[in-house]
Amino acid sequence: MNFSQHLPALIVVVPLLFAFVMPLLARWRKQWCVPVTLGAIIFSFAAALQMAFQVMSTGPFSYYMGDWPPPWGIELGIDYLAAFAALTINGVGLLIIWFGSKDLLHELKPEVLGWYYTLYLLLMASMVGIVITNDIFNMFVFLEICAIASCGIISIKESRDCIEAAFKYLVLSVLGSGAFLLAVALLYMVTGHLNFTFMAEALPEAMVLYPNNLLVAMGLLVVGLGVKAALFPLHVWLPDAHSSAPSPSSAVLSALVIKVYAVAMIRLLYLVFPRELLGIAPVMEMILWMSTLAIIIGSMFAIVQDDIKKMLAYSSIAQIGYVFLGVGLMSESALVGGILHIFNHATMKSMLFLAAGAFIYGTGARKLSELKGIGHTMPIPTIAFCIGAFSMVGIPITSGFISKWYLALGALDVGRPFFTAVILISSLLNGIYYLPIVVNAFFSKPEEAVPAPKQLPREMLVPLALLSFGVILFGVYPSLILGIVYRAAQLLLGL
Amino acid sequence: MQFLGSFLPVWIVMFPMVMTVVIYYVEQRSEKMRNALAVATSVVTFLSVLALYPGVMAGKIIEFELFQILPNLAVSFRVDILSFSLALLSSFIWMLVAIYSIDYMCKEHGCNRYYPVLIITLASCMGIFMAGDLFTLFVFFEMMSLISYVLVVHEETIEALRAGYKYLIMTIIGGLALFFGIIITFELGGSVSLSNPVPLISEPSTLAFFAFISFLIGFGMKAGMFPLHVWLPDAHPVAPSPASALLSGIMLKTGAYGLLRVIFHVYGIEFMQETGWTVILAVVAVITILLGSAVAITQDNLKRRLAYSSVGQMGYILLGISILNERALMGNIFHIFSHAFMKSTLFLAAGAIILKTGKKNIKDLGGIGRQMPFTMFAFTLAALSMIGIPPFNGFLSKWTLSLGAMDAGVPFYVLILLISSLLNGLYYLPIIIAAFFGEEQGEGHKHEFVKINEAPYKMLIPIAILAVSCLLFGLLPSNLPFDLSRVAAEYLLRGGF
Repeated sequence: MNFSQHLPALIVVVPLLFAFVMPLLARWRKQWCVPVTLGAIIFSFAAALQMAFQVMSTGPFSYYMGDWPPPWGIELGIDYLAAFAALTINGVGLLIIWFGSKDLLHELKPEVLGWYYTLYLLLMASMVGIVITNDIFNMFVFLEICAIASCGIISIKESRDCIEAAFKYLVLSVLGSGAFLLAVALLYMVTGHLNFTFMAEALPEAMVLYPNNLLVAMGLLVVGLGVKAALFPLHVWLPDAHSSAPSPSSAVLSALVIKVYAVAMIRLLYLVFPRELLGIAPVMEMILWMSTLAIIIGSMFAIVQDDIKKMLAYSSIAQIGYVFLGVGLMSESALVGGILHIFNHATMKSMLFLAAGAFIYGTGARKLSELKGIGHTMPIPTIAFCIGAFSMVGIPITSGFISKWYLALGALDVGRPFFTAVILISSLLNGIYYLPIVVNAFFSKPEEAVPAPKQLPREMLVPLALLSFGVILFGVYPSLILGIVYRAAQLLLGL
Repeated sequence: MQFLGSFLPVWIVMFPMVMTVVIYYVEQRSEKMRNALAVATSVVTFLSVLALYPGVMAGKIIEFELFQILPNLAVSFRVDILSFSLALLSSFIWMLVAIYSIDYMCKEHGCNRYYPVLIITLASCMGIFMAGDLFTLFVFFEMMSLISYVLVVHEETIEALRAGYKYLIMTIIGGLALFFGIIITFELGGSVSLSNPVPLISEPSTLAFFAFISFLIGFGMKAGMFPLHVWLPDAHPVAPSPASALLSGIMLKTGAYGLLRVIFHVYGIEFMQETGWTVILAVVAVITILLGSAVAITQDNLKRRLAYSSVGQMGYILLGISILNERALMGNIFHIFSHAFMKSTLFLAAGAIILKTGKKNIKDLGGIGRQMPFTMFAFTLAALSMIGIPPFNGFLSKWTLSLGAMDAGVPFYVLILLISSLLNGLYYLPIIIAAFFGEEQGEGHKHEFVKINEAPYKMLIPIAILAVSCLLFGLLPSNLPFDLSRVAAEYLLRGGF
C-alpha cells in the first residue's frame, strides 16, 4: 500500500480536513489562510493530474473506502469522466481562489474571510466527491454538502440581495435534494443496492418487475439534478444567486458547481439506467428540447440585462444547455462536445466572471453602460473579457469553437441539422450581447469623467492571464484534453 | 530549396503577423520607424508573393500542412494559380495603400492603432487566399472580418460606431453561415481540404443544398451580395479613405474567392451544372448589379456613391461565377483585378480630395479639377474604366464577361451589363464634368485664378500607378492580370488540378 494508491480518497479528504482547520487558522494565524487553502487545492490538482495519467495509461480503476469491498463499502470509481471532471474542478477552482485571495478583501468583512475559505474548500471537496463516487448515497451526501457550501458562499456577503438570492437557491436546492433522495430510495427498493455498478446489473431485471418505480425514480433524478444544474425551466434561482454573490463565488458557481450536477446526471443516465428504460420514456428527447429552450431563451434574457454579472449568469443558463444538448443527442461527437464544453465553459465563464470582478474591483461599476472606455484604463481584464467573448461566440482558435464544432457535428451525425442551427443561432445571440461590451470598452468614451481605476494586484492579473492563455491554447491544441474526453464518451456509450 | 518553396506561403502569412507585433512595440518610440516598417512589411510581402511566380506558372501547386487541430481538420496552406493571382493583386494594392497612408493618416488620430491593424489584416487576407482547406480559410476569413472592424470604426464617431455595429452583426451572421456550410461539408465529405482529387460533395441532397445556401450567405455577405449588402454602403464610407480602398478593392473579393472555391472544389462543376443551383446566384447577382448602380445615382456623398458602385460591380463578379463557362470565368477573375485597380484609384482620389479640401459631397466638388488636376485626372481614368469605355480594363472585363454570357446562350446578361454601364455613366460622368467644367460654389471668386493645391507626392504616386494600370491592362493585348485570369479559368474548369 503506497501513498499514490490512496489518492482517490485523499483528493476529497485533504480539502475536507483543511476546511475545518481554516477557522482555527483565521483566529490564530490569519495570513496563513490563503497559502494553506491554495496548498490544499494544489494538492488536489496534482492528485487529479496523477489520476488522469493513471487512467489514461492503465484504464479506469476503483478504490474501496476503508478496504471494504462493494456492495458493503463505499467505492470510488475513477474512470475517464471522473478524472476529467476532477481535473477541471481543481484546475479552475485553484485559479479562482487565487484571484479571490485579493478580490475578497474588498468584498467581504474581515471577520468572515476565514469562513469563506472553509466553505470554499468544502465546496471543492464535495464537488470532487460527486464526480468520483461510485455510490449513489455517497453522492447524495456530497450533493448536500455542495448545496450548503454554495449557499454559504453566496450569503456570506450579508447584503439584502445576497441573502434573498441564497434563500431562494437554498429552497430550490433542497427540493432538488429531496427529489434525489426519493429517487435513491426507490432505486434501493427495487435493486437492493446503492453501488452504481451493482445497481446497473440489477436494473434490467428490476425494470421488468417494477417499471413504474424506475420511471418515477428517473423522473425524480432528472428533476432533482436539473434544478441544481439550472436546466431550463428549472433555472429560476440562478440569475440572482450568481450575480449577487462575490465575484469569485459567482465564478465558481457558474463555472463548476452547475457542471458537477451535469456530470452526475450523465453518469446516472448513461451508466446506471439501462438503455431500454430510456426507450420507454423519451427522457433524452425531453432533455434535448429543454436544452434547446435553455440555449435560446437564456441568450435572449442575457441580451436585455444591464448588469454585467446578471448577463453572465443568464449566459450560463444557455451554456449549460449546450452540455445537455450534447448529452441528449446520444452520438459520440455530440457527447464529446458536451463533455468538452464542461471544461471549455468552465475556463471561459470563470474568466469572464473574474474579469467582471476585476472591473468591479477597479471602478465599482457593474452596469454595462458604465464600462465604456474601460479598455484604455484596465487593458488586461478587458482583453481577457474580449477573448472570453470571442470564445462564447465560437470564433475559431478559441476553445469555444472546438466544443461547438463537436456539438454541431454530433447533431449532423444523428441526422438532426435542426440542432446545429440552434447552436448557430445561439452563437449569433451570444455575439449580440457580448461584442457590444468589447466594442464599447475600446471605442466609446465614458459620458462623464471617471476617476482612474484602482491598480489590480498581481494575484488577480495572473489567473486572468492564465485563463485567457488556456482558452487560446485549448482552441489551437485541443488534443491536450480531447484524448480523455473521447475515451469518456466511448465508455459512456459502451463503444 | 524544395522545402523553402513549400514554406513560402507560411512565410507570407506569418511574416506580416510577426511584423504587427514588432510595429506595435516600435511605434511606442518612433512614428517614422513605424511608418517605414509598415511600408517595408507590405513591400516584402509583395515580393515574397512574387517569388512564387515561376513555380505557379509552371503549373505547380504548393501544399504545406502546418499542424492538425483535430483529426482531419488542419491548418494548411495551398497555392495554386487562383490563390497566387489574388494574393499578388492584394499585396500589390496593399503596398500602395501603405505608402499612401503615410501622408493621409498623419492628420488623423489613432495611427498607433491603424498601422498594426493594417498589417495584420494583410496577413489574414493572404491567409484567406493561401488557405489549403476550408477551415483555414474560415479562420483567416473571420480574423480579417473582425479585425477590419477596427478600420471601419477608426473615426469613432456615432455614424462610424453605428455602421460598425451593423458590420459586426453581419460578419457574425456570415461567419456562422460559413461554419454551418463547412461542418455539413465535413459531415458529407469527411474532410474540408481543397486538395481533394474529387469534389467533396458528390450527391445532391437537402443537406448539401443547405450547405450551398450557407456558403452563399457567408461569402455573399462579404461580397456585398443582395440582400446582404446592407452593411457595405455604411461601413465603407466611414472608414479612412485608404482603408475604404482596401475594404472595397480587396476585402470584398475574398467573398468572391470563397464562392469560387466552394463551387469548384466543394461541389465541382458537373454537380453545379446538373443541379442548377447557381441560378440562385445568378438571380441575386442581377439584382445586385441593378440595385447597386441605381442606388448609387441617388447618393450625394462621394464615398457612399463609390460604395454603392462597389455593390454593383461585385454583382458582375458574382454573375461571372454563376455562368460557369471558361470565358465568363476569365472575365470574372479579370474583373476582380480591374475592379480592385479602379475602385482603389477612386477611393484614394476621394481621400486626396477630402484631405486637401475637406469636401465629401458631390455637390461641392464643382471646379475641383482645376484645383487638383492630377488627382481628378486619375479619378477620370478610373471612372471611365468603370463605365466600360475602351481601351480601359473595365471594358476588357465586361467584354469577356459578355462573350461568356453569349457562349452560355444568355444574351439577357449582356443586356444587364449594358444597362448597368449606362447607369455607371449616369453617376460617374456628372462628377467629372462638374469637376473640370463646373463653377466653384459660393463666395464669388468665379474668375479668379485657382491655385493648384495637390496632395503630397506620396499620395499621388500610388494613385498614379493605379490609374495607369487601369489604362495599361486594358490597352495591352497580353498583360499579366489577363494571362493569369485565363490560366486560372482553365485551371478551375479542369477541376482545380
